[in-house]
Amino acid sequence: METYVQMGLGLTAIAMGLQGFWRSGREKRRHGHGHHSFGHKHDGSVFSIDYYAYASRLRGWNPGFKALFSMVCLVLCIACDNVYVSLGTILLMGYITVVMGGLPFWRYLSLMTIPIVFLFFGSVAVALGVAPFPTGQYCVHMGFFYLYCSDESLLATLRLVARAFGAVSAMYMLTLSTPASEIIVVLRGIHVPRLIVELMNMIYRYIFLMMDTQCRMKNAAESRLGYCDFKTSCISFGQVAGNLLVVSLKKGNAYYQALEARCYDGELRFLEEEKAVTAGQTAIAVVSVAALLTVWRLTA
Amino acid sequence: MEKGTREIILQARNLRYAYGEEKPALDGVSLDIREGEKIAVMGSNGAGKSTFFLNINGVLKSESGEIFYRGEKMTKKTLNRLRKSVGIVFQDADNQIIASTVRAEISFGPMNLKLPRGEVVSRVNEALAYMNLQGFEDRPPHYLSGGEKKRVSIADILAMHPEIIIFDEPTAALDPVNADMLEAVLGKMADDGKTILISTHDVDFAYRWAERIVVFGDGRIIADGEPLEVFRNSDILKRANLKRPMLLDIYEMLWKRGIIGQKKAYPRSVEEFAAML
Repeated sequence: METYVQMGLGLTAIAMGLQGFWRSGREKRRHGHGHHSFGHKHDGSVFSIDYYAYASRLRGWNPGFKALFSMVCLVLCIACDNVYVSLGTILLMGYITVVMGGLPFWRYLSLMTIPIVFLFFGSVAVALGVAPFPTGQYCVHMGFFYLYCSDESLLATLRLVARAFGAVSAMYMLTLSTPASEIIVVLRGIHVPRLIVELMNMIYRYIFLMMDTQCRMKNAAESRLGYCDFKTSCISFGQVAGNLLVVSLKKGNAYYQALEARCYDGELRFLEEEKAVTAGQTAIAVVSVAALLTVWRLTA
Repeated sequence: MEKGTREIILQARNLRYAYGEEKPALDGVSLDIREGEKIAVMGSNGAGKSTFFLNINGVLKSESGEIFYRGEKMTKKTLNRLRKSVGIVFQDADNQIIASTVRAEISFGPMNLKLPRGEVVSRVNEALAYMNLQGFEDRPPHYLSGGEKKRVSIADILAMHPEIIIFDEPTAALDPVNADMLEAVLGKMADDGKTILISTHDVDFAYRWAERIVVFGDGRIIADGEPLEVFRNSDILKRANLKRPMLLDIYEMLWKRGIIGQKKAYPRSVEEFAAML
């Protein structure tokens, strides 16, 4: 058990080190603590997702219910393969996340741009074809070969993009309203192996500690001109990453002692809050799914 | 109740412990802890305070020596009884907090005690109220300030209802306001009859708070007595890298110059000092 705490910490250390390298020299952190305000602001989309989920008005919903609802919408969107259903899913999920959840619209839009890069490369392959001779409705001579496409392939790409965004918006509805700890509770509920669930729990907790430590080490290096040029940056990065690993291994021991001091016996047990599903929430889910099915029936 | 008549909760007899092949961190430590005592544990860094705490909590197993809890000798099988009855609030709250919400965190100890759900809920709520943490239940620990984390780490231990609570350098990372908050909590706990051990380097705090001071040096207990007795022993202070409390110095200086008459007062806090003047 002890080694697996340490292993998890070690792996995250490497990830954090890498991430620190990307952000070197640009990070700004703001602190502001109060009784009922949120503390840290972290850069990077992962941390803002965590923050938005925590701040969402839908946080009070039962996480299992939200997960089921989001999965049903996702499966519907993918299975129907219908551009209207896809657009419907995007609108519906966007409405729930932004209007009901209270996430600022521009934040939502900027989060939606994250998958665009992946989508772009995926859809280019569908939309465009390469041939040694001119073919298709539209084609461009590229020297040795021809790039071509057709109305049909463009429409297929559009359908694909809409479907992908529909699926993403359904997943976002869940992740932008449900803190990671509650998602872990859902996973435990559907009998995901204990090892994975506990590792998720620990990684979620320690990733923030690791970030903090990495940030402090990086600042300390930076204050001594450790990132003044590319070569020095590479050396400092290596040292910070290595140090982080050593510190993690040492801290792993301290964490384990603290766990044992509270009667830890090999299984992490926490009190899980039971959130009731209200009639109103059920109605919203049923109406949404019914609306998507109706769109599908009307346009199929 | 008089000190001598209070019942002994925990007895450590001749504990020895070494980390690996190094020289022993504990070299024959014996200590009796009685009900309701307020003990300050002092001594230089590396004198063996934290090792001693982990030993009497049952996390570290001493190489030789015995621990008696309520007269019963503790063995491997009864270790959990020790861990349940002796709670440690660790120095760095971040080393202690494991769960991803405050509620889950405080429930960790009670859940490990295999209490029924209703009991866990009521203990968590009680600890939240005690540490003034209502409204923080669903907050992840990384959205808490240092003082709030400290309060959570104390609530963690309170929810286990231990008989003895150990604080390992509790004020080390706190700002003055949070340190005051902590002292208020300590006062409240003492009123509730809890037995408290605190390791600290703050001589002024130890002088005004403790009713008994235990000084560690090189893995042994080199002094154990009332604050006044310990702080007036310059030999002990020198051996343990300690200084005299400022109030004690000032009082004796004023007395020597004849500015104040009474010799026996020895005020322990600024308030007592003001009342004496």
